[in-house]
Amino acid sequence: MIKKLLEVCATLTIMLVVAGGCQKKGEGIKIGLAAPMTGDQAKIGTDLRNGVTLAVEEWNAKGGVLGKKIEVVVADDQHDPKQAVSVANKLVNQRVAGVVGHFNSSCSIPSSDVYNRGGVPMISPGSTNPQLTEKGYRGVFRVCGRDDQQGKVGAEFVINKLNLKRIAVIHDKTTYGQGLADEFKKFVNGKVEVVYYGGIIQGDKDFKTVLTSVKEKNPQLIYFGGIYPEAGLLVKQARELGIAFPFMSGDGTIDQKFVEIAGVKAAEGTYLTFSPDTKRIPTAKSFVENYEKKYGEIGPYSVYAYDAANILLTAVMEAGSSGGKAVTDKLHSMEFSGALGKIRFDDKGDVTVSPYVVWITKDGTFIEYWRP
Amino acid sequence: MFFQQLINGLTVGGVYALIALGYTMVYGILELINFAHGEIYMLGAYLGIIFFGFFTGVGLTSYSLPLSLLLTFAISMIFCSAYGFTIERIAYRPLRNAPRLSPLISAIGVSIFLQNYVMLTQGATDKVFPHLFGASGFTLFNARITHLQTAIILVSLVLMVSLHLFITKTKMGKAMRAVAQDKVMASLLGINIDSIISLTFIIGSGLAAIAGIMIALYYGLVNYSIGYIAGIKAFTAAVLGGIGSIPGAMFGGIFLGFVESMGASYISSEYKDAYAFLVLIVVLLVKPSGIFGKTTEEKV
Repeated sequence: MIKKLLEVCATLTIMLVVAGGCQKKGEGIKIGLAAPMTGDQAKIGTDLRNGVTLAVEEWNAKGGVLGKKIEVVVADDQHDPKQAVSVANKLVNQRVAGVVGHFNSSCSIPSSDVYNRGGVPMISPGSTNPQLTEKGYRGVFRVCGRDDQQGKVGAEFVINKLNLKRIAVIHDKTTYGQGLADEFKKFVNGKVEVVYYGGIIQGDKDFKTVLTSVKEKNPQLIYFGGIYPEAGLLVKQARELGIAFPFMSGDGTIDQKFVEIAGVKAAEGTYLTFSPDTKRIPTAKSFVENYEKKYGEIGPYSVYAYDAANILLTAVMEAGSSGGKAVTDKLHSMEFSGALGKIRFDDKGDVTVSPYVVWITKDGTFIEYWRP
Repeated sequence: MFFQQLINGLTVGGVYALIALGYTMVYGILELINFAHGEIYMLGAYLGIIFFGFFTGVGLTSYSLPLSLLLTFAISMIFCSAYGFTIERIAYRPLRNAPRLSPLISAIGVSIFLQNYVMLTQGATDKVFPHLFGASGFTLFNARITHLQTAIILVSLVLMVSLHLFITKTKMGKAMRAVAQDKVMASLLGINIDSIISLTFIIGSGLAAIAGIMIALYYGLVNYSIGYIAGIKAFTAAVLGGIGSIPGAMFGGIFLGFVESMGASYISSEYKDAYAFLVLIVVLLVKPSGIFGKTTEEKV
């Protein structure tokens, strides 16, 4: 019995040594990508991975960073906060130089605790909830804007451009969706009457009950804080109920799947706040060409993932080390010129300039519509 | 608004009822809660999308939409019934005489297997069913009712009535009731128990397939995880009505859809999923056997 136990212990020890050895042998520099790779947001995950992979391939073609090849470790958080924390721990244990991710605010915020403890810098390509960078963690950054900025642009549009008086606000109860809806509501308060405010359940498919209540209140527009599957179903079911007034939503809805789910006719005229069209940013021209040649149609967040990866690798190069502290310091002090233009982080880790514009859905595609 | 919410609730409730029937029929005969039943409904939705896509591809849809839909329903039902039949053969029949917990665990296993099987073969992203009917419909008492909603409500009702007639009026139905009452006695009277049990699974799965396709048509969106929550809700409906009772499942499903609709509109939409379970708790406290359930005494 004891002999057997000893045998098992010995085997385990050997395995550990071998595993440790393996880890050392992959001597490249690792960067993590944490995003929803499966589930109903898998498309976003793929867009982000393509962006990061493109950046890394370009670096590797030039000989990598600090003389080492770069390797991307993809972690699937399934847009589930619990899963996000668990993959964050895995990434920290694999000693990545930094993480591009997470995408959903509900994943980024709890994961930022893990990265902060592990001393690994993270750059989120799409988490727009203000809380993420309000926790005072030095190693937390984002290349996208914040909901308070996005909600403000949405509110300005509704007040100044559309001149509306009565609106309804619906959110999906997630950190992102409710955060966005609340910011929007804060900025329209006093100028526009909010006749309905309520939540729906993410993953639910039947919104006719909510929409019936909203219809009763007779608003001129519905503002939705949430992601495209629910947004698509909301718009579709609203039209089935005979609701004709337009919808407005944020960056989580700007996805081709939204039109596919809602139907081209129902989606027509939906307003969305988002950053300017990647294809219309002069600095992103070569990125767009390379991306489309390789992966086809560009995703709305691909360019953020691309820039986030580039910023991270530039910081590693300029710091001359892949150590968490050195990279974080460099990220705070440097200025970076990427596909999105010049990027600089403030003390909180937010980008200093965040441009949001209003887009409109027309004939099944999204086009830039209004600038504040 | 009340009438609109009533219609909304009735549409969803009819679908819950169709799934709940599968739960209750199996429970009535085997005293087994078939947790894989929600997955059959999900498979039905997927098969609907696949076969409809196929018929569109070969040009049948542009030739005749009703024919194409009818064939989609028929073939998906056959496939789902085959799934139900096979699941019973593989996962439940060998455990017929095992302790009651074993087939239950086996059912959960089948459910997890089917979910992952569909996720791996069909992908994890949402599948979109083509928009066939748009927002066409009519207005009645200030409520907007789409033609699809009317069709779903009618199909559910017709199926429920036919099932009721089948169970009460035909010889097969009589045999099913006999097996549910006493398996040993039924077999002594010359009823082939195995084939009756198979029949139960086949009918239940067929109904779930129809529910799945109707939901795919209605929402236009399907993914591998829809079976879970629909299964739980239908199971709640079955327990609410009295598990084992067929009119109970029909009533439970429609009642559940109604409660959800009213709760979400008059109290708060944020707790929509909670109302169903709240009602379940209240009913179980007042009448533990469910609304239509009969209290059975322990057989000695």
